Amino acid sequence: MSSYYTLPRNFPDRAAMFSHVVSLSSPETNAITGPDVRAPSPIAGGRAEAEAALAKIDLRAYAASRNHLDGAVTHLSPYIRHGILSLDEVRNHALATVADPKAAEKFIQELAWRDYWQRIYATYPDRIWQDVEPYKTGFDASEYEDDLPRDIANGATGVACIDQFVNMLADTGYLHNHARMYLAAYIVHWRRVRWQAGARWFLQHLLDGDPASNNLSWQWIASTFSNKPYIFNLDNVAKYCGADINTVPRHNLVLDQSYERLSDLLFPHMGGPHG
Amino acid sequence: MADLVWLHEDALRRTHPVFSAAASGARAVFVWDNSYLDAALIGLKRRMFIYETLAGLDMDILAGTADKVIATLVAEAHVTRLFVPATPNPAFHALLSSVRSNCPDLEISVIEDTSFVALGEPPDLKRFFRYWNKAKKHAMRHGGVLA
Repeated sequence: MSSYYTLPRNFPDRAAMFSHVVSLSSPETNAITGPDVRAPSPIAGGRAEAEAALAKIDLRAYAASRNHLDGAVTHLSPYIRHGILSLDEVRNHALATVADPKAAEKFIQELAWRDYWQRIYATYPDRIWQDVEPYKTGFDASEYEDDLPRDIANGATGVACIDQFVNMLADTGYLHNHARMYLAAYIVHWRRVRWQAGARWFLQHLLDGDPASNNLSWQWIASTFSNKPYIFNLDNVAKYCGADINTVPRHNLVLDQSYERLSDLLFPHMGGPHG
Repeated sequence: MADLVWLHEDALRRTHPVFSAAASGARAVFVWDNSYLDAALIGLKRRMFIYETLAGLDMDILAGTADKVIATLVAEAHVTRLFVPATPNPAFHALLSSVRSNCPDLEISVIEDTSFVALGEPPDLKRFFRYWNKAKKHAMRHGGVLA
């Protein structure tokens, strides 16, 4: 009996291909919970799709609006993560679209983050799941929960914007970078869950899930790869997320505080032996 | 003499230098290995994304345990040279070590992707901006190299 068999490459439509992928997958993978996890992402794989996304980038609009959830972000990350596009060709394309290279700098710096994470992964491959440095939150790593609470995975925390971000992640396999930062900070700092639990969950859902970019970004939020923990408040969500995200204070009570008050509430021991 | 290109999920394109390193027209395969995909925490949507990409690459998608499949192909087709794209992923390195053990006469070449920045010496990776301060002038040039 052969050790392999050849899989088909032609299907009548996307739904048929997805059914085939589901049939190949293990029960554990098919059991990952989420509101709409058993449907394909609206972002399709393929070199032609990647080239189409690359042709659409508008660096002027990107620079002006990239921090906003409805801004002109490129959605290139799944293609770059899987080597469908190389960083080199994306950079070269970006430079070719502008008269002055400075107009491409913000965008190229984002590409450089990817290169930076990959260099760390290549240099320290076994450290990718370990705390690079201690937490600087006033808590020891042992004081964080090991597992992701079910209400977070199910988008049922009762914090309206957080639940919307969870549903976006599960529905599309993609999240704007700000939404990733909000979710990660909520999980690590408000719920005091180890970043590894959140990083595992993100990898299971994100089309661009990459052990280096993902895990080290979680560590940046957690403060195990940065000088202080990242936190946000409801005003920040309202500023960047637009009308589609529920930022009504009574639906987001735990986020509706000043940064000073949040820091006191979340990190009461900051400045002590662990930070 | 036969060449084989073994792609993985970090390098899913025909323009990767691994193809020009191997003989023109060399067979290319991707092994759909559930245990490997599970261990990598690749969920259904991402599996679909990868499968869609593979379907457009004019190469074989083979289901099985990756290192065993490659060893079988090497024996079946008298493959003498195996070409793989470089990856930092230790799980893939473990598969490659297994292939190396099972196929001691096989010549294995790990091919780097085109670089984003060509830096003379390894940059300081302690914090991003230490790296960026070194890399920026390269990164802002076509091809990542200074003229």
